[in-house]
Amino acid sequence: MKKRIKVTINGKSCTGLAGQTLLEIAEKNGIEIPNLCHNDQLKHYGGCSLCVVEAEGSPKLLRACSTEAQDGQVIYTESERVVRTRKTSIELLMSDHDGDCRGPCVLKCPGSVNAQGYVQAIARGDDKEAVRIIKERLPMPACIGRVCPHPCEDGCRRQMVEESISIAYLKYFAADRVIAAGGYLPAKAAASGKRVGIIGGGPGGLTAAYFLSLQGHRVTVVDAMPQMGGMLRYGIPEYRLPKKVLDAEVDEIASLGVEMKNNFRIGQDASFEEFKSKYDAVILAIGAWKSMPIGCPGEEIDGVLGGIDFLRQVALGEKPDIGDKVAIVGGGNTAMDACRTAVRLGAKEVYVVYRRTEKEMPAEQLEIDEAREEGVTFKFLTNPAEIIGENGKVKEMKLEIMELGEPDESGRRRPMPTGKYETLPVTCVIAAIGQKANVTGFDAVELNRKGIIAADETSYRTSVDGVFAVGDATNQGAGIAIEAIGEARRCAKVVDLFLKGLQVPYHKTYLSVKNVSPEAFEEYSKLPRTKMPTRPAQERKHDFQAVNLDFSEAQARSEAARCLDCGCHDFTECKLIRCANLYPLEPERIARIKGNGKTHLSFKEKCLVVIERDQGKCILCGQCTRTCDEVVGKGIIDLVGRGFDTTIRPEFLQSDVIRECVDCLECANACPTGALRIRENEQVDA
Amino acid sequence: MTEFKSGVDLSMMEGVLRQYQDDSTSLIMILQQAQSIYGYLPQEVIYHVAERTGNSPAKVMGVATFYSYFRLSPMGTYQIMLCQGTACHVNGADRIRLAITQELGINNGETTEDGMFTLNEVACIGCCSLAPVMMINGETYGNLTPEKTIKILRDLRKRESGEGIRLLVGQGSCGVSAGAARVAKVLSGHMTATDNFTVQKTGCIGMCYLEPIVDIYEGDTLLHRLVRVTETDALGIVEAVRKKDFKKLEPMFISDDDARFLKKQKRVALRHCGIIDPTSIDDYIKNDGYKGLDKALQKEPEEIIEEIKVSGLAGRGGAGFPTWFKWDAARKAEGEEKHLICNADEGDPGAFMDRAVIESDPHNLIEGMLIAAYAIGATDMFVYIRAEYPLAVEHLGKAIEQARSRGLLGENILGSGFSCDLSIKIGAGAFVCGEETALIESMEGKRGMPRLKPPFPAQKGYLNEPSNINNVETFANVPWIIQNGGAAFSAMGTENSKGTKVFALTGKAKRGGLVEVPMGNSLKDIIFDIAGGIKEDRQYKAVQMGGPSGGCIPAALADTPIDYKALSATGAIMGSGGMVVMDDSTCMVNMARFFLDFTARESCGKCVPCRIGTTRMKEILDRICEGQGQEGDIELLEELCLAIRDGALCGLGQTAPNPVLTTIRYFRDEYEAHIRDKKCPACECSALITITIDPEKCTGCTVCSKKCPVECISGTRKEPHVINQDACIKCKQCISSCKFDAILVQ
Repeated sequence: MKKRIKVTINGKSCTGLAGQTLLEIAEKNGIEIPNLCHNDQLKHYGGCSLCVVEAEGSPKLLRACSTEAQDGQVIYTESERVVRTRKTSIELLMSDHDGDCRGPCVLKCPGSVNAQGYVQAIARGDDKEAVRIIKERLPMPACIGRVCPHPCEDGCRRQMVEESISIAYLKYFAADRVIAAGGYLPAKAAASGKRVGIIGGGPGGLTAAYFLSLQGHRVTVVDAMPQMGGMLRYGIPEYRLPKKVLDAEVDEIASLGVEMKNNFRIGQDASFEEFKSKYDAVILAIGAWKSMPIGCPGEEIDGVLGGIDFLRQVALGEKPDIGDKVAIVGGGNTAMDACRTAVRLGAKEVYVVYRRTEKEMPAEQLEIDEAREEGVTFKFLTNPAEIIGENGKVKEMKLEIMELGEPDESGRRRPMPTGKYETLPVTCVIAAIGQKANVTGFDAVELNRKGIIAADETSYRTSVDGVFAVGDATNQGAGIAIEAIGEARRCAKVVDLFLKGLQVPYHKTYLSVKNVSPEAFEEYSKLPRTKMPTRPAQERKHDFQAVNLDFSEAQARSEAARCLDCGCHDFTECKLIRCANLYPLEPERIARIKGNGKTHLSFKEKCLVVIERDQGKCILCGQCTRTCDEVVGKGIIDLVGRGFDTTIRPEFLQSDVIRECVDCLECANACPTGALRIRENEQVDA
Repeated sequence: MTEFKSGVDLSMMEGVLRQYQDDSTSLIMILQQAQSIYGYLPQEVIYHVAERTGNSPAKVMGVATFYSYFRLSPMGTYQIMLCQGTACHVNGADRIRLAITQELGINNGETTEDGMFTLNEVACIGCCSLAPVMMINGETYGNLTPEKTIKILRDLRKRESGEGIRLLVGQGSCGVSAGAARVAKVLSGHMTATDNFTVQKTGCIGMCYLEPIVDIYEGDTLLHRLVRVTETDALGIVEAVRKKDFKKLEPMFISDDDARFLKKQKRVALRHCGIIDPTSIDDYIKNDGYKGLDKALQKEPEEIIEEIKVSGLAGRGGAGFPTWFKWDAARKAEGEEKHLICNADEGDPGAFMDRAVIESDPHNLIEGMLIAAYAIGATDMFVYIRAEYPLAVEHLGKAIEQARSRGLLGENILGSGFSCDLSIKIGAGAFVCGEETALIESMEGKRGMPRLKPPFPAQKGYLNEPSNINNVETFANVPWIIQNGGAAFSAMGTENSKGTKVFALTGKAKRGGLVEVPMGNSLKDIIFDIAGGIKEDRQYKAVQMGGPSGGCIPAALADTPIDYKALSATGAIMGSGGMVVMDDSTCMVNMARFFLDFTARESCGKCVPCRIGTTRMKEILDRICEGQGQEGDIELLEELCLAIRDGALCGLGQTAPNPVLTTIRYFRDEYEAHIRDKKCPACECSALITITIDPEKCTGCTVCSKKCPVECISGTRKEPHVINQDACIKCKQCISSCKFDAILVQ
């Protein structure tokens, strides 16, 4: 029987046996000490330097993985000196880490939806898995897949080969099929007994409701409009997002037990204070429903409408009187929705008045192209100077001709007045130049300089305790749906912790990003992006039926198969990235910008039959070589070279197949990062 | 086994393989032998060695690629080993490298297309007093300038293309002091463009009293050796060589007696010339040799350890750990087999004390080790020595044989019943192997990567058995202590540093070389009284002590005594004895960069702080020296320093930040000048200086344009000349050649 010893770790009295290491005793006592090169099956190594701890009476830091504990020893695992040393070691590791934790599509998504994951699942034919992956972050994939301006596709690395993957459309392809097959919802946690009130039933509010409900909280969503969906219902025309698709996804969320109350307006049906008093936490997701004025004379004349007001009226089944000649002012997606809706309402001439050129338009190119196909006339470099009425009705609009000057803070060239004018006869002017939250009834909540709700960017807290806020009504103002959804999901996490009595802001995950050069993509053959089939313009412009004809299964599968699978497959099991998120990291300051300092560049090597190695992700912990040597008894891979240039290579720097390898996979299993990976079956055959 | 088509004759390896294939610790030695057979390590040989020794090819590759000595591709006819030692750095090795690269179009590790030259930058070839130095095929070329370097390379090309006569002028430190450099200069001066012979420089050939010496070679045949040559003889020599009639030179021919005597003395280290012959055990015994051992064997081991304790002897390798304590721990450690190891892996670029001791007095080391072995109860002894010290290896090997033949090594030494033998383990080029646990790994035939401590070598060392490791100089003190008593030793020195210390004094001191002084002397005593101050009477700026693990001590602290504590307090360390003197033309930021470049290259790669941290620090220092420094870089360096010091696994890494920390501490203003003003106050960092010709002062003498190795100075005779800034490599050759002070550095 070994002698029992006592060690004080971070003030906690711990017991262990003589001969045990500090790391073993700490682990047994529930104290985690980070490490990357330690492995119980292997001899002590001491390479990663993360397990350093401070011991009273020792001038040097000790490596917990290999230091035998002494009776009575007093240890600190998170002292300032330890943290400083450990953090720098992690930063040094990350400064030489050339790999993508997540694909650029995931990083670009404001909702952090694992696009790579679901695209790969779709490529494999597993739509349910695709939807499961999506719903970890986004509860309404059928809707968002149709309407999202997909920043994910802007990040897509397939562009280095030819064009980005059609990620958004793939998302709704999978979602539609799963809904048709009965839908998918993850399991709900046990009831917490806590109540959450959410004001606003748009994408943000519904998302928060979804995630909080899954956590077992009782959620009520109230909304001023007759039906749930917010701007998805009242701001997006039917031809882009059929209401029945929205209904299906709202129903799914409701089926989680979320109580939904419509036609409920704060300030009318209950005061904010009354509402708040009924819940343990409240989330404001009220959106931005007020059209911004054009700011030129004549705006008050009958026949001048706000863009979202116009779209809402149409969505509600009203038929606004717009006449034959409609001018939409603005260049964003709302302007596109408005002009195409005006076409569908029968206007003979529809103009888009925009003060810059097509190149500067914030609207999606596809929307612009489709609008043009439907007969919309774009009047670029024009700006409303005055709206002129006759008999109290709009008659014409005086436009100032503009020209482009120097780039402004948005990077786009600034429109400059020329002093020249033209006149456009119109029967209706729709101002689609922006929208703002209507905060009437929320006097208790502090506003920011823009006059909208101020919410902390990491905790989503407002000035009122227990009240959180997300989406278009907060901080920067109106954005796209997926931004509100991302905020709502993160906010739900914070609220969940808040309801459990913890006050933790949302912690942004640190992720590694790879250096890419176009040369790395030369090996791929060019496979053009699959085009979404659409109804012909001449047919679709007369009704509100969906424009998209949707992907066939074959189209979707082959489109998904174009995915380069950029992000790391071992992301969820990676010990390195877990360590990298222990402390706030800034490895860029050490190797300035990645690529400026020396790095082990990423390359895929397939020298072993079943193992694929990526040097860029190797941290030289030696676990693979030591496992091959000490556990398997083969020693067929070893360190090569020394110092910074050390790599792990088999035999005579050869990249051919190793004869001795028994394919035991032990090395890949031991790898704490994604540097060694078991190759997929089809690759083994190749 | 893979079949190879190329014709490597593996049977040439048979002898060495038969002898060593079953000894798992001999892998490095087998590879060394293979390299000396084939010139490099062909792939076939790696596989063959792997098969015969029962190792996996990956393991053999791991070892072969860890040590810089081994190469996996063939080399050029001429192997240029350009010294990157500290003294060479201070004396402008960078400019030499540039000149070679310019002339041959190759970088470190590359071979010219015609297969004639291979350039290798090496840590230090231990000829610091001739800095900057390069060695080509074993021949040393010192006091290099870019111009000289290019001439040497062109002469070699010439030699390779024709059968011309070569005049070899011995220019070791003694040769130079006797006027050999001037002789060589005048010889070259008398030559004309049509002469088809060359004047070459060679290292010291050991005949100090006959210098300057000029050897006349035709091909590889020595025609005549001329001695005591003066400048006035030069014209006669040149004329005689032209006519190939050497009769007139007869008075200068070496006498037969001298020639015989010299043959015996060939390549004897110069410092102890004339005192003893290191290859003669009798000479050693005549000078009280092995008396300490005799005395020790009559005592109990504990008494010896007590004597060492009284002496206050501390480890001379640098850390200054009390020697008796280590011996005591090894003595008390449990184990049937115990090993005594001498660390002669003198890796500090700029130190050559250990080499000198082994070359000139190998028996003293053997005797010291025997006393220690007896004291701790060791069953065998090893000297781990650098491959870069062939002469030391040779002398030590000879001394071991002699000692064995006299019953001083082996069974029942001097009839005492104590038995112990000594063998040599040769390193293969890795600084980290000076760290004791890495040294043990290397001795076992593995990659020299440090082990975790504890367990300490005293408990689990070589072959996991108790081992005691001391440095050469430490052992070299032992016979004296035993003979004269510990008290006599501790009578010298200060309260916490006893005895004497040997230093290798190099850099900008007037008289460089080995000095041994009692502890307690001040830095000033050594630099000014012994070394005679600074070359060209420039301003003394700092001294670097302890090499890559040490730091720079500024002139203001010149009164600091040689004392472990006092030196540590400055941020430097006593170190193993490297002492590099710097004047006002040395840039301290560049100095720090030099050392970080060294440690980054020599990092074994095992632990993260050292492997990546030293490289990142070097990158930051690089950009500061190149004028790309940014605000915050100093603080970032300091932060990295602390993290590496606290986080690195072994002493190499933990002390690697010292050169940066001390230069920031004492010369922060120089860092700031580089970063903020993009100026190098010492005018050393080439990216931050401009060299121009003052048209007022320039007489158009054309000397500088002839000297310029890259031909970037142009102008008509008697008209002011101009430097083409785009082509200028900032070698400063023009500055030293200008007699009119017309060339300005800004």
